[in-house]
Order: sequence, then structure tokens, then C-alpha cells
Amino acid sequence: METILLSLQSLGDVTLILAAIVGVAWGIVGGAMPGISPSITMALLLPFTYTMSPAPAIVLLASTYVGAEYGGSIPAILIRTPGTNAAAATVIDGYEMNRQGKAGEALGISLYSGVLGSLFGLTMLILLSKPLAGVALSFTPPAYFALGILGLSVIATLSGENILKGFAAATLGLMIATIGTDPVTGGNRFTFGSSDLLTGIAPVMIMVGLFAMSELLVQAAGKSGGEKVTSRPRIAFPNFAMARRLAVPQAIGAGIGTFEGCMPGAGGTVASFMSYNEARRWSPNRSQFGKGAPEGIAAPETANNAVAETALVPLLSFGIPGSNSTAILLGGFLIHGIAPGPMLFQRSGDVVYGLYGGLLAAAIALLFVGMALLPVCIWMVNRPKPWLSAFIFALVMSGIYSIHNSLFDLSVLLIAGVVGFLMRILKFPFLPAVLGLVLGYLVESNFRRSLVLSGDDYSIFFTDKISFALLALAAVFIIGALGKRVFDFFLAPPNADKAGDVA
Amino acid sequence: MFWTRDFVGGAGTALVGAIYYYYAIQMRVSALDDTVGPSGLPKAYGLILMALGLAIAVIALLRSLRQRSAGSALENEWTGQGIRFARAAGIVAIGVIYLLIVSYVGYAPGIALLLLATALYQGAARNWRSIAVAVGGAAALWCIFVLVLGVSMPRGLLFPG
Repeated sequence: METILLSLQSLGDVTLILAAIVGVAWGIVGGAMPGISPSITMALLLPFTYTMSPAPAIVLLASTYVGAEYGGSIPAILIRTPGTNAAAATVIDGYEMNRQGKAGEALGISLYSGVLGSLFGLTMLILLSKPLAGVALSFTPPAYFALGILGLSVIATLSGENILKGFAAATLGLMIATIGTDPVTGGNRFTFGSSDLLTGIAPVMIMVGLFAMSELLVQAAGKSGGEKVTSRPRIAFPNFAMARRLAVPQAIGAGIGTFEGCMPGAGGTVASFMSYNEARRWSPNRSQFGKGAPEGIAAPETANNAVAETALVPLLSFGIPGSNSTAILLGGFLIHGIAPGPMLFQRSGDVVYGLYGGLLAAAIALLFVGMALLPVCIWMVNRPKPWLSAFIFALVMSGIYSIHNSLFDLSVLLIAGVVGFLMRILKFPFLPAVLGLVLGYLVESNFRRSLVLSGDDYSIFFTDKISFALLALAAVFIIGALGKRVFDFFLAPPNADKAGDVA
Repeated sequence: MFWTRDFVGGAGTALVGAIYYYYAIQMRVSALDDTVGPSGLPKAYGLILMALGLAIAVIALLRSLRQRSAGSALENEWTGQGIRFARAAGIVAIGVIYLLIVSYVGYAPGIALLLLATALYQGAARNWRSIAVAVGGAAALWCIFVLVLGVSMPRGLLFPG
């Protein structure tokens, strides 16, 4: 109750509300553009947050995530092209409704469900984050080290088809984290005499490079063009009877979205497809699914918006980003010298309550901004791709320069972009690299501090109960994922025709 | 025959691990270091990356041997990728040129050139309208970053100080 009151109090800050509105607007427009994922939309904003106070900066980024999840459904419904991965399930019935001349109703159901999903997700975020963080208050250096390892173990479920590539990407991230000043002795490592490298490489450069810059390179390398929106629909919200009909699929979406959001690595795409499937299973109108069923939009859209909020639970409580978007949000926290995790609620409670308040403002703003921005989104989707890419490139270059007024940072950005492009071509996942980068310092500094404390006795990691529990959980994650893959490798029939699905 | 993406990725990963390990073992040891020392984890990371890279490459090799049509798979994997690399390299080149000239020409003219070059490179029409969009876009970005956010962007030789 106290948390809710403090969160509502923070709404007295006009900058928070403005940040929420701007974030939602930016997110909707970014999410509506096919190929621009929520994480890229957030990454483009990241450099701008340097000059802002912590709470509005975090609200801006988190609201962008909320807006992008709805924005992705606009092209999904209008041109059968999901703006985000999580909107892919919305294509199935959303586009069918559009073909039947019900695009306005489909967009209305998507927006209405998105707002409900966001509000439900926010409630769960408030209820779950603080108690979980409270558990972590008694952490010692070995426990922090184990927490870092647990965070890295998420890679086991994030690595796509090749877990070894996930671990390799994570190791690459850990290596980048070692550049700069040693956390224990203060000596220089891998700086090669460059003063620019003394403070290390800021995660924001790598994140923007891997996500936004590499996307530019991939788009430049691919074919241009794409379908254009020719209709001019107006959003029509469901009436009372329709709202009643949508209640069950929305409840299914909210439940699944909350669960998947709290699980690092699951994400909005899994949640929206699972919700679609379960909504169809439990619907009396299941024969209409795939033919323009409103429930087929309501369930996935509620789910992916609930995920946008509950994905913050592992980030705020343990400092573990479970998705690309929350990794960017973690970057936003780090920019302001705030470390999400057990001490966040103690040291930066104002930022957390500001975030809750801002997310509430964002959920409400989604309703109005979503309606107002539909024509803008359609206009943006129809812009020539060369100019869209050119402006994103200019924005990225200008934004990164503005962080330290340094051309060296632009070199790092370009290198990270090229590395990201190669990783895509060679099918290496990004998120493990980002996890390695942001958790590298935590892992190394606490590993070495623990050994200094214990007089080089490695058993400290197993005698500390929290550390042991976290390491055991990490082992379960890794062994479970490895076991499944070993089983698939030896027992599943070889798939000889996988070469075609290249990047 | 076995140069699949996985194999190339694995071999490249092992190479990066080896280079990193080489530099990790070059670090000076100090009497003040803790037992693990500044080079302790970097050396481990280098070795782990090498091992992972080799494992990825070996598994890729075994996979291609298991597939009878390894030759056709290879053909599918790399066909048409050269032009994609070249097109992506063009964007990187535009970025590098911007980096080299922005200190001399200043932010606004530099970003206008970057906008125009990127758009034209990706197929925008070569006409006065494109130049106008680039100049207008640069002016808008200059307003956002310099006037609104107060960022000290490169002024160039024409407008120093």
C-alpha cells in the first residue's frame, strides 16, 4: 500500500508524466515500423537520457517499451507485417479483420487490450518486485558473484538453436567488460595506451552498436521496399458486449504474460503465441480463430503488454535483464550510476516509485496517444526506406557523440555495429553478449573479493547459503538446457534443409 | 565443403579467444595483486572462448559430414552473401568518412552529408528534393542536439571557437 501511495505521489512530477507520454509516443511510432524492434527503439533514445534526471530517464525508456508493444500491432493488422516479434500472433486474426473491413475495430481491440495488459502487468510488478528484492538484501560478495552467474545462466534459455554460441557471445561480453581499470588493483587492462579506454567501454555503445547499428547494416544489405498502408482506418473501441466477450482471452493473456515476463528469457513473443493458443483452446468461438476472431487479437496483445511491465521484475529485484529491451533499460540505469538489484529499493527508492508512477501514466497515455498517433504511424510506415535508414543512422551517430563529446565513441559504435552484423550473419545471439558485458564487473569484482575474504578458499561459494542456492539454480538452468540439446543432437532426426533460413 | 556459417563462426571465435588470451598473458604481475590477479579471469575467458569456438567448429564439421548434401547446403548458405557484405560495408564506409571529416566541416554540414550519402546509397532519388531533405534534416538534428540538449557538437574549421 505504501508503495502504491509513493508511486502515486511521484505523479505530481510533471517531467515524469511528460517522459511517459513522449516515451509511449516514440515507442508506438518505433514499434509500428517493421524491422525496428522495441529494443532498437529504446536504444535510439538511450543517448538522450544522459542529460536527464534518473527517474524521468528510466520512465522514458520503460514507456517506450510499453508503447512499442502496442505499436507493433499496427502494421500487423494493416499490412500483415508485425512491427515487433511479439505482434506476430496478432497478424493471424488482425489482418483477417482488416480484410473484412474491420481494421478500426481490430486496432481498437489491440489498444484496449494493450492498456489492460499494461495496467495488470504494472500491478504485478509492484506486488512482486519489492518482496523479491527484500530476499536479496542479505547478500554477501559470494552471493553477488552467484547472482551474476545465475544471470549468465539465463543464456542457456536465450541462445536460440546453438547454446555454445550463446556461451561464446556471453564470454565475448565478459571480455569487453575487462577493458579498462581492474576492479581490485586499479591497474590498466587491454587499454593499449589509449586514455579513452581507461574507463572501459560504456555498455551503451555496445548496445546501440549491436542492436541499432547492426540493424541498419542488415537493412542496407537486404532488399528494399515493403508493403504500404493504403487504407485510413479510425480506431473503434469495443462496445460493452464485445468487452465482455474479450474478458476471458484477456485474463488468459494477462496471466500468461505475467508468468512469462517474470521468467528471464521467455519474452513477449512466447507469451503472445501461448496466449493465442490458450485463448483458442478455451474459447466457445474457437472455429472463428484464424478467420478474424477478436479474441485472437485480445489475448496476445494483453499478454505482450503485460510482459512489458513484468519483465522488469527480475531486472529490478536481481539486476538480471531477461530480454533485449530490459537489457537496454539496464543500460539506462547504469548511465545514471544506479545498479538495479537487491539494494535498488534502499538506495534509489525514489527512482523506483517514479518508475511505477511513470508506468501508470504510460498505460493511461497509451490509450490517448495510441489514438492520436495512428495517422502518424501510417505516414511513417509509408516513408521511403532509404530516408528512414539515413535518419536513424544520423540519430545514432549524433546521440552516441553527445554522451562524451567523443569521436572515439563513434569508432566503438561502428566496430560494435560491424561485430553485430557478423554475429547476425553467423547466427550468434546478441543478448548473451550484453548480459556478459553488464554482469562482467559484478562477477569479477565479487569473485575476487570473496577469495580475498576467505583467504583463497573456494569453498566460500558453497558454504554461503544464498550463494549455494543461487549457484544450484544456475546449474539447474544450464544442465536442463544442455540436457535437452544433447538429447536433440543424438536422438532427433537430422534436418538436412536448414541452410535456407539464413540471416 | 565444410565452410558452413557455424564452422566459420566457431573458427573465428577461437581466433578471437586466442588473440585475447595472448594479450591477457602479457599483463604485468604486481606484488600487490590478489591471488587471482588482474589477468586471472581474462586468461580464463580467453581459454573458454577458444574452447567454445573449437567446439562450435567441430560440431559444425560433424554436422556437415552427417548431411549427405553438404555441398548443396554450403551453396545455399553463402550464395548471394557477398553483395550483402559489400552493401553493409558501404554504410560503414559512410560512417568512417563522417568520422574523418566532421571535425573539419562541422556537425551540421557533416550530418547533412551523412544523411544525403546514406539515402542516395540506399536508392533515394538523385534530385534537389533529396538535397533539401538532407539539409532540412541536418538543421532539425542541429536544433535538437545543440539548441535543445546543449551538446557541444564539432564546429569545424569554418566556425571555430
